[in-house]
Amino acid sequence: MTAPSSHVAELRDVKMQFDEKKVLDGVSLQVNPLDRLVIMGQSGSGKSTILRLILGILQPNAGSIFFKQFEITRLRRRKLQQVRRHIGMVYQYSALLSSRNVRDNVALPLEELTDNSRDEIDEIVDAKLDLVGMKDSKKLMPSELSGGMKKRVSLARSLVMEPELILFDEPVAGLDPVIASVIDELIISLTEKSQVTSVIVTHEMESAFRIGTRMAMIYQGKIIEDGPPEQFKQSNNPVVAQFLSGSTEGPILEGSQDAIATK
Amino acid sequence: MANTHTGTGAQSETLSTNPVVVVRGIGQLGRSFLREVGAMFWFIAHTLDETIDRVRQGRVPFRAASFFQHTERAGVESVPLVGLVSFFLGLTMALLTGYQLERFGTERLVPGLVAIGFTRELGPLLTGIMLAARIGAAFTAELGTMKVSEEVEAIEAMGIGPLRFLVAPRMLALFFLMPCLSTISNIAAIFASSLVCRAYFNMAFVYSIDLVRDALLIRDIITGILKSLMFGLIIGGIACYRGLTVNGGAAGVGAATTSSVVTAITVVIGVDTLYNTIYTIFFPT
Repeated sequence: MTAPSSHVAELRDVKMQFDEKKVLDGVSLQVNPLDRLVIMGQSGSGKSTILRLILGILQPNAGSIFFKQFEITRLRRRKLQQVRRHIGMVYQYSALLSSRNVRDNVALPLEELTDNSRDEIDEIVDAKLDLVGMKDSKKLMPSELSGGMKKRVSLARSLVMEPELILFDEPVAGLDPVIASVIDELIISLTEKSQVTSVIVTHEMESAFRIGTRMAMIYQGKIIEDGPPEQFKQSNNPVVAQFLSGSTEGPILEGSQDAIATK
Repeated sequence: MANTHTGTGAQSETLSTNPVVVVRGIGQLGRSFLREVGAMFWFIAHTLDETIDRVRQGRVPFRAASFFQHTERAGVESVPLVGLVSFFLGLTMALLTGYQLERFGTERLVPGLVAIGFTRELGPLLTGIMLAARIGAAFTAELGTMKVSEEVEAIEAMGIGPLRFLVAPRMLALFFLMPCLSTISNIAAIFASSLVCRAYFNMAFVYSIDLVRDALLIRDIITGILKSLMFGLIIGGIACYRGLTVNGGAAGVGAATTSSVVTAITVVIGVDTLYNTIYTIFFPT
């Protein structure tokens, strides 16, 4: 089975559960070239799970996942590792290797996966760090960086292999509004400059509308709305409307533990 | 569960006396033990597979700098501890056996006894226990923290094999360093016994060394080296396995570290016993 070549990534009727908890219940989603697809949803709704499924780090209980023509769910380890080289990932807490300085963190994929000489690697690392405004911090260790700086280094690391798809897991979570805007602008400019498709998982509404060229909302394991940001703003779906407004009145909290807590 | 008692005392009494519950408990323990052993076996097999696969592609499986960094931590920095503990144990062993053997006029057996005891048995065993506590715990905590902070997943997401990148250099460092540290342990203990023999039993230092050379057989040395290599692999494997299977944040890292040390020490002693049993069957004299 192959995916239509027009999609960078595709999920077909994906079901996923952890122990007894059903997280994804038949999710189908296509990521088109140059999309900046923002996936929104409540905490624990399965947004980050989708990113890990695309990377092949998690295996779904049912359904298929494609990256271009490759069916991720059927790939063997070596092939999967080769495919992952074309996908970049920026983690919520940056996931920089704490024992390596900024330069070594960004250089890691190049050192491990390419035959580039040290000079060539340094050149690429300098270029990517320059893009994110971190060229002068090459020697710093991750523990010496602020949250925003870590995110920028993580972004540079995800770019060094010239990926075709970058996955962002809560890129602005825990950052102040100013730094969050800086990261948002950086994501927009870098994805446009590098002509790269991206999937961004977030529940920061301001950031979502700033970055996204397309949005999808996940609720109770299903995609309940998928379209351009304008469509979301005018959505008649009560779940989407409540999520965007942040209201405590509406279907989202009905019967949930959070609702009980508010009473 | 068939038990319908509501009182805690009655419940525990039923639990401990009901043979079905006891057998079920033993069965569950056995099953989880076998599952752990199987998982650990596949962990080591996958590490080897990933490493060999990388070599087949004509690339180095990991950077030499990474390997030497771990050998320095596991080996060079463990020398004082291993040397000192072995020296004290050698002293004690020589003193205790010396006074007993002196009653029969055979105190000249002391250097050989300590040498054989350490080369075949105590050297690798003590070094294994010390490395499990010192380096095994460090490897588990380090990898566990990396797992919790998503660093391991980030490595995997880049398309880098985490087993060959993180586990192989650590395991290999322990594998190659264990015989070296065992040798240091043996030398320290033999030196200590020579000092005791000189001080208490009027044996010249050179004479003690001659006695050691007469007593030691090549197969004693080979046995010690083989055991050391095995223990290195076991400690490295268990420490890395426990580190990469951490769950539940900081508390999980703590629990995994404790479990790593306990498991490694138990397995090392168990394997040592098994080795000695098999060795005695094939080489009874």
